[in-house]
Amino acid sequence: MKIEKNIKLWSSLGMRATFGLIAMELAKKHPDLMITTSDVSTSAGLDRYKKKYPDKFIDVGIAEQNLIGVSAGLSSEGFKVISTTFAPFQTMRCCEQIKVNLGYMKNKVCMVGLASGLVLGNLGFTHCCIEDVGTLRSIPNIAIVTPSDPFELFKVLNEALDYKDSVYIRLTAGSNTKIINDKDYKFKIGKAVEILPGKDVAIIGCGNILGNCIEAASMLREKKIQCSVVNMHTIKPIDEEKIKEIAKKNKLIVTVEEHNVLGGLGTSVAEVLASEVSNCKLVRIGINDFYSSGGSYEYLKKIYGLSVEKIIQTVLSNLKK
Amino acid sequence: MKNKNKYIEIFIKSFSMDKKKFNEKIKYNDIPEWDSIGHMSLMSDLEEGFNISIDTDDIIDFSSFNKGIKILKKYKIV
Repeated sequence: MKIEKNIKLWSSLGMRATFGLIAMELAKKHPDLMITTSDVSTSAGLDRYKKKYPDKFIDVGIAEQNLIGVSAGLSSEGFKVISTTFAPFQTMRCCEQIKVNLGYMKNKVCMVGLASGLVLGNLGFTHCCIEDVGTLRSIPNIAIVTPSDPFELFKVLNEALDYKDSVYIRLTAGSNTKIINDKDYKFKIGKAVEILPGKDVAIIGCGNILGNCIEAASMLREKKIQCSVVNMHTIKPIDEEKIKEIAKKNKLIVTVEEHNVLGGLGTSVAEVLASEVSNCKLVRIGINDFYSSGGSYEYLKKIYGLSVEKIIQTVLSNLKK
Repeated sequence: MKNKNKYIEIFIKSFSMDKKKFNEKIKYNDIPEWDSIGHMSLMSDLEEGFNISIDTDDIIDFSSFNKGIKILKKYKIV
């Protein structure tokens, strides 16, 4: 697609607006596509889609349980369905419907959680979302993918519609997202992507916070520490093979996520390592199981140890131990 | 551009701007309303107002009011 040539400009739009753009492309490719929302067409960049495809767009209003019920019903009638609203409401407000209608009954829906992580920090933790991965990870038959940038979102959405199970797509960061993937690459749900090679320390991240991981790794290289960066975009099913390979090659693995350290990427990596005989140490960076007061995105990343400087400090202090 | 006044009207309405504050030098991200989400709403309003379908590349390239004039010319909005 022509769109792949515009990675830089695309990133300036951020994940949500890109989602709206991709929806227009997907509608051409999938005549059976339906998009459902809970009162967020504008916030999801879907105004154009809504006007162009009024019969393929259902806004159920602020009624997230119904969002999943209606989406599951459409899926059972053979439609390809994308549901979307802000991440806390897309996952936790309708958690039982996700469990029963999607996980248990296996109706297939792609759920897009907008503005997950800390980006809505100014609105406080009613709107920040640090629990979505942990909540959904315990429900069978649902894949969880956190695209690292708008270009990867394009790849995820294209693959998710044809994936065997329901997929939760977790969007992080605002507009002017950092570019993680500056050229085309092979994407597959469940297969991690090595962004930077290295052999001393491996940083495993997901979402747009990978931009900070890449910067931290580059600065560590200046200190002669060979630090690799791995994009673990799929948290479930996790790429066990890649984690085992990383554990064999490195002394230290640091996971970095815009999520509670309990239940998310770090936990998933720990579960894989627990079954391995390895001398590789694991350190998890993320929200350390507490709610702070609200604040800007940059402020919250800093206090939760997700800034470039904090990631470097964590790596250095754990290498010394 | 014959439709310039209509273009300006759509701009002002889409961003709920004060008419007096509008100027033709406005660029993407110059005002809080013209963020990425506002951008998609503007595209939607232009498509509806001029009955056109703007290509994805042009949506991304639409970085200012003046750039918009050049892009709209491609769609024969002159």
